Amino acid sequence: MIESIKKTAQSAVTALQNAGADKAQANVSYTITHEFNVDGGEFSLFRTLFDKSLAMTAIQGGKKGTVAQNRYDEETILASAQACLEAAASAQPDENWDFAPLSQNEDFVQGEVKPDTDKLFARCQELMAAVRARFPKIIMEQMIVSHKEIYSAKANSYGSLFSTHEGYYEVSLMFSGHEGEKASSFFGSGVITDNLDRPFLELGSLEKDLSDVEKQIETTFVEGKFEGTMVVMPGCVASLFYTILSDFAGEGGLLSGTSPWKEKLGEKVADERITISLAPLDERIVCGNRVTGEGFRAENFDVIQNGKLNAFVLGLYASNKLKLPRGKNDSFNVVMAPGDKPIEEIIASIDRGILVGRFSGGQPASNGDFSGVAKNSFLIENGKIGQALSETMISGNMADMLNKLRGISREQVADGMMVLPYLAFDGITISGK
Amino acid sequence: MIQDLLTDKKYLFATGANTELRAQRNLTRRAVLLNGDLIGNVRTEQFGVSARVYENGVYGFSSTAEYTDETVKDVLKAASENAAFLAGHAGKGKGPHKAMANGRSLTAFDLNDVEQRTYIEFIQTLDNYIAQKYPDLVSRTVVATADSMEKLLCVSNGTDGHSIIPRSYIYVMMTIMGADGKPVELYKVIGGGFGTFDRNFSKPEAYFEEIDKLYDRIRQKAEGVYPEAGSKTVIMGGILSGMLAHEAVGHTVEADLVIGGSVAGSCLNKRVGSELVTLVDFAHTALGKPTPLPVYVDDEGTAATDALLIKDGILVGYMNSRETAERFNMAPTGNARAYLFSDEPLIRMRNTAVLPGASKLEDMIASIDDGYYLTDTNNGQADTTGEFMYGVTFGYEIKKGKLGRALLDTTISGVAFDMLKTVDMVSDEMIWASSGMCGKKQPMPVGMGGPALRCRVTIGGR
Repeated sequence: MIESIKKTAQSAVTALQNAGADKAQANVSYTITHEFNVDGGEFSLFRTLFDKSLAMTAIQGGKKGTVAQNRYDEETILASAQACLEAAASAQPDENWDFAPLSQNEDFVQGEVKPDTDKLFARCQELMAAVRARFPKIIMEQMIVSHKEIYSAKANSYGSLFSTHEGYYEVSLMFSGHEGEKASSFFGSGVITDNLDRPFLELGSLEKDLSDVEKQIETTFVEGKFEGTMVVMPGCVASLFYTILSDFAGEGGLLSGTSPWKEKLGEKVADERITISLAPLDERIVCGNRVTGEGFRAENFDVIQNGKLNAFVLGLYASNKLKLPRGKNDSFNVVMAPGDKPIEEIIASIDRGILVGRFSGGQPASNGDFSGVAKNSFLIENGKIGQALSETMISGNMADMLNKLRGISREQVADGMMVLPYLAFDGITISGK
Repeated sequence: MIQDLLTDKKYLFATGANTELRAQRNLTRRAVLLNGDLIGNVRTEQFGVSARVYENGVYGFSSTAEYTDETVKDVLKAASENAAFLAGHAGKGKGPHKAMANGRSLTAFDLNDVEQRTYIEFIQTLDNYIAQKYPDLVSRTVVATADSMEKLLCVSNGTDGHSIIPRSYIYVMMTIMGADGKPVELYKVIGGGFGTFDRNFSKPEAYFEEIDKLYDRIRQKAEGVYPEAGSKTVIMGGILSGMLAHEAVGHTVEADLVIGGSVAGSCLNKRVGSELVTLVDFAHTALGKPTPLPVYVDDEGTAATDALLIKDGILVGYMNSRETAERFNMAPTGNARAYLFSDEPLIRMRNTAVLPGASKLEDMIASIDDGYYLTDTNNGQADTTGEFMYGVTFGYEIKKGKLGRALLDTTISGVAFDMLKTVDMVSDEMIWASSGMCGKKQPMPVGMGGPALRCRVTIGGR
């Protein structure tokens, strides 16, 4: 199969060149999905999906066009090549468009490529039974457990040709706690794994998340407004970092000129204890991308290294346009260096603050101002975690916050997609009714 | 148009089970100009066939990107085997869904697939206008986007259908430097809705006035203030009340989320809003006009009808699939919809709206001594508890019955079934929006709308 996928990618590049492209690229994939669904605590659906994708990109006279679809028979490839060149012809020329130059081509194989469907179903049943027995107040609104087997190939007109054959299991839970008519907020938790060796409940933070949500049925309010410390649980750190990595260090903020970090490469932007990496090759990341969308071999890199802005997260176009180095991968596999204190010790140092499990907020402004509701969160008072909170808002500025770090926990959660610790920031406005 | 390879496979449908066959094509076309550079120029198509079989209380599903007589038979067989596997391990001892009248709904038409050049040239004209007239902008983005879903459906019981829903829009985003040296942003969907791009957009010049208004508003915003934090009387404009109808109320009354533990489970036939609040998920016609995104038959073969959710402040119904309708002893209204050919139908909203009332907006503003008029939002999120949060991107102070200074970005929050009880004025005009995607395992184009509501919410301040 993988040889056929590689051949298709090369055929698509040739078709684009024959249609007149100066430079061409094709990404091809074939994905087989086996998926079990639980709804309202009961098994509801078993799906098997056979999906294809073909994305063809042409550059002609500096003009770029892309056509994507889910077929790749010969007729479709030829028609798509024409459509792609037509789309490119309508564009304006921009010398910054390009693809990855030829490097050492390679075929990658990773993860558990073929599913053990019976064992997967048994692990699902085991998880449902464990949740019922150990967390009786939890209603499992939805559980989606799947295995994906993916064959993919990327080829371009410089002769670059990479392929990947990979397989992994994915667990996604959505649940809430209930007692009589009282209910917690809903919470989502998930993991990716390349084996079925351990019960799902032992992976990522699933067990702790279920336990926390049971404690969030009874809530209290914050009286008034105060400035305090926000401790962010590992599962919530990623949503905070999304803005930092896309709007501050990413293409969006840099191409539009709105990033507060646009002139800060190599300068201090955060507390020196903070190192944030994008690391698809980290051994704790499951089936991380080996090749970028533009055809570069993926490498790990630090965006922030010991508080300094070490690299921007740029694709090749933005890199050429801004005359700045490109990011060495295009993943969102965020890995953050741990601290040296246990989370209990950090919390013990906090007089008044909030432990945040989920942030429900508007899109932060491009300057980093954010405000929103702290969901699945607990009050911290006199160094101890107190009662769960409802209707509590938090606000601050993300760029400022990175310089007001109180601590990073020694503990990390690895869910197959990211590796993140708890983070504590001072100077956050916390307001209630 | 999709060729019918499905109807003649009905003889393969198993007796005693519910079977759906669906062939579907999704198209998207998108062009993006950022500061005059074309950074997005993409056309995509996803096409294939799927089958779903309901047996013994569980579903089996299968899909493939190939659409031939053979693959239709293949997915039907695979879906049946998947249903049998799950029924064998976790069957619920149930028979097929309650029978409904058989029928056929044909609302598809030949789609004019507009050339990419048309999108690009249109937004280039708009972008040139902005660049020349407003050189003080830090950043400008102009996006042309169009998508469509064509579905051919064949079911063992219910309504077969062939439908197409095209929509197209232009977005303009502006960034300007604020008084404190920090960037201020504002965006607007200018024109568009149901229909192909060429039908919705004829001359770029017709949108210059909208662009001028957007610029005028971002200038006001750049000089704006943060609202004072706390519980306030506000007028929620139609875009926000539509968001409220969808996010904070709509999701909690989707029957699958009710089963999953939403707050609406204990509120049926109880008061959840003031007598001025009536809320409906419309199928294809609302208040005598076509809805923004009309649905005539859903993907389970249920002929679509309106779902009355809140009547005069009382929660009276949920949105259902055939399965949940039986569980709650309600009539299915055609809310089970799938996004791609490879997606199974889920309970989804269609065109969800608060109905207009009798008040005039100017009287509502005049009635407030100290509050806010909130007009624009960039996103909204809600909990199954009904607790909601929106980002507010534009609005005004109201002081002594008159509009005051513009507002900088803020958030509002509340609990839907508490907040709706505070609604004491409802305007007589409503606004629809349909450019967004709802997210719930799968994306889905949805319409939402509402009048201006006078109510109390918690406003986040800075």
